[in-house]
Amino acid sequence: MIELILIIFTSFFLGLFYSFLIRKFSARLQWRIGPLVFMYKDLRSIMGITRIIQPLYDIIKLFGKKTIIPESSRKRLFIYSPYISLIFAFISIFFIPFSGISLLSNVPYSLVIVSYLLIGSLLFMIIGPIASGSPWAFIGVRREAELFLVTEFGFIISLFSMAISKNSLILWEISISEFNLVNITAGLLMFTSILGKLHIKPFDMSEAEAEIVAGPYTEYSGKLLGIYYLTKIFLIYDFIALFISIFIPINTLPIYLSIPLFLIISILIIFILSIIHVLNPRYRIKNALIWYIKIISILCLINIITMVM
Amino acid sequence: MSSEIKLIKYTIKKPMTLKYPSSLIPEKKYSQIPEVLRGLLQRDNEKCIGCKACHYSCSGKATTFQYKENKLIIETFTLRCAFCGYCQEICPEEAIKLTKTFEITINNPNEREAYITTELDLLKCKNCGKYFATKKFIDRTYQRLIEKIDPIIKESVMNDYKKIEEYCTDCRRMLSIKLNTHPKKYVWLEG
Amino acid sequence: MSLLKKSRIYSPWLYHLHCGGCNGCDIEILAALSPRFDVERFGIQLVASPRHADILLITGPMPKQILPMAKRVYEQVPDPKVVVAIGSCACGGGIFYDPENYAILGTPDSLMPIDVYIPGCPPKPEAIINGIVQGILKLSKKS
Repeated sequence: MIELILIIFTSFFLGLFYSFLIRKFSARLQWRIGPLVFMYKDLRSIMGITRIIQPLYDIIKLFGKKTIIPESSRKRLFIYSPYISLIFAFISIFFIPFSGISLLSNVPYSLVIVSYLLIGSLLFMIIGPIASGSPWAFIGVRREAELFLVTEFGFIISLFSMAISKNSLILWEISISEFNLVNITAGLLMFTSILGKLHIKPFDMSEAEAEIVAGPYTEYSGKLLGIYYLTKIFLIYDFIALFISIFIPINTLPIYLSIPLFLIISILIIFILSIIHVLNPRYRIKNALIWYIKIISILCLINIITMVM
Repeated sequence: MSSEIKLIKYTIKKPMTLKYPSSLIPEKKYSQIPEVLRGLLQRDNEKCIGCKACHYSCSGKATTFQYKENKLIIETFTLRCAFCGYCQEICPEEAIKLTKTFEITINNPNEREAYITTELDLLKCKNCGKYFATKKFIDRTYQRLIEKIDPIIKESVMNDYKKIEEYCTDCRRMLSIKLNTHPKKYVWLEG
Repeated sequence: MSLLKKSRIYSPWLYHLHCGGCNGCDIEILAALSPRFDVERFGIQLVASPRHADILLITGPMPKQILPMAKRVYEQVPDPKVVVAIGSCACGGGIFYDPENYAILGTPDSLMPIDVYIPGCPPKPEAIINGIVQGILKLSKKS
């Protein structure tokens, strides 16, 4: 029970830390500093001491702002879908094991529950903007929906190929099973779909800044936008924790070893994500779909071959 | 592959970012400041003679003047000034100088800081009692006249100038016959 | 100071509104956001939608054609907000100023309250950052 309460704070602060790290790493790779860890001494009275929790400041600020609800929107759907999205992303943290702690991941069919919750969260990130009635949001949502379909394909296949090869639908049993070749191939497949789901650079066409205003979130402001940001923070944690717990066998280790390993591996993944984020220009949606179909079909084939063997 | 090599190079190098709003390293606070940078303008109230050349050359009508009682007030509205430097170029007394101050923020356009003001005392016309020009302006005109004039007629012009010095432009014209300062007399002299 | 007011200072988001200028100031704003000055150190970000913004940056001499749009963008920025006028044109009309000009309004202060003016043609990136910092301090004082 205590674990379940602790995981709320842990996941929240890890999510904040990861989104800070993405900003910091990509800034550093672009030859600049990024959010300061130590503020300059003479500016501390105005600008604060540290900016490690910069994403949290963003969210608190958004909560303190006035929320504008456009006349042309379907108000109920527009207002409630951020909350539903947050609830889905929030609940899924309990079903994902965290470095050797099983939490609720040993309930039957927990793999299905997690994949369902993550799909639900992303789905309501699409439905809310549709209700806003803004043409920019429509364009963004169309791109997001197309991207969602192709990434979901790879996501589901990688999850269930693991389930078939380990002969279990319980996340905890999969995560403590022994390491084999399917882990690698399915992990690669999962990694490509995480790129699309977290909008890492070649696949950020759905919220393409300055191209289609702010994409799906054009009409969102204040508290509702803050809730979407909060959802994103939980989603970053969800995907990284899921990736590590399924494909990297650290859950069998004792806790004092597995927690530092979890942190190191997650920071490594964030680093790789930020390198990809910095090095790539933005794909057009057509190119992204073609890329995904090519990569996913090849990886799926390899995946199935390794699974059968 | 070259982009990856560049990435590694720039990641290892020290970031190019300045510590700008902080002044921990004073000499490295700003980025490059060019020698010809034109910043906030400064008008020397001692040197200014009130010729209004800056008003007539101003590209954005930022410099205006007005007569107020016995004062001539020349004002430059900093917010409208484009720092083009025409006034510095044209000023005969080199009273206007563009400094290198470029960090200018103004919170209220009506406050005193938004204007660069010069107040000059005006002379009163002996005949009609109108305030017409500044003392410095008259003196400076006299000096320039002496410098450039033909030495043959220098003495008579100087005498004439002393006579009309304290009258305004309208009165000078009206009184030119009475005081015998009409310029036509030089034509007769030459003839 | 409460956490809310602090976070207002710590994460100001900018929206850049271009009102018929010559693009000089716009390029200087981009220079202020570049790695050389890297305003992300202080959590400042350029956002794409006025609904996400806290600080509205205005450049250009405000032609009368753009007034309704500028007013609408101003209204779309949720409270509390700060307006920063950048460049001589947006501050006072600049070289286009003429009281009888039929096409150009000059400074938009009759349209929206402006909190900080940054003169210059164009202002240096340092001047823009300095002005934005003044704007942030004003933002924290608004309820």
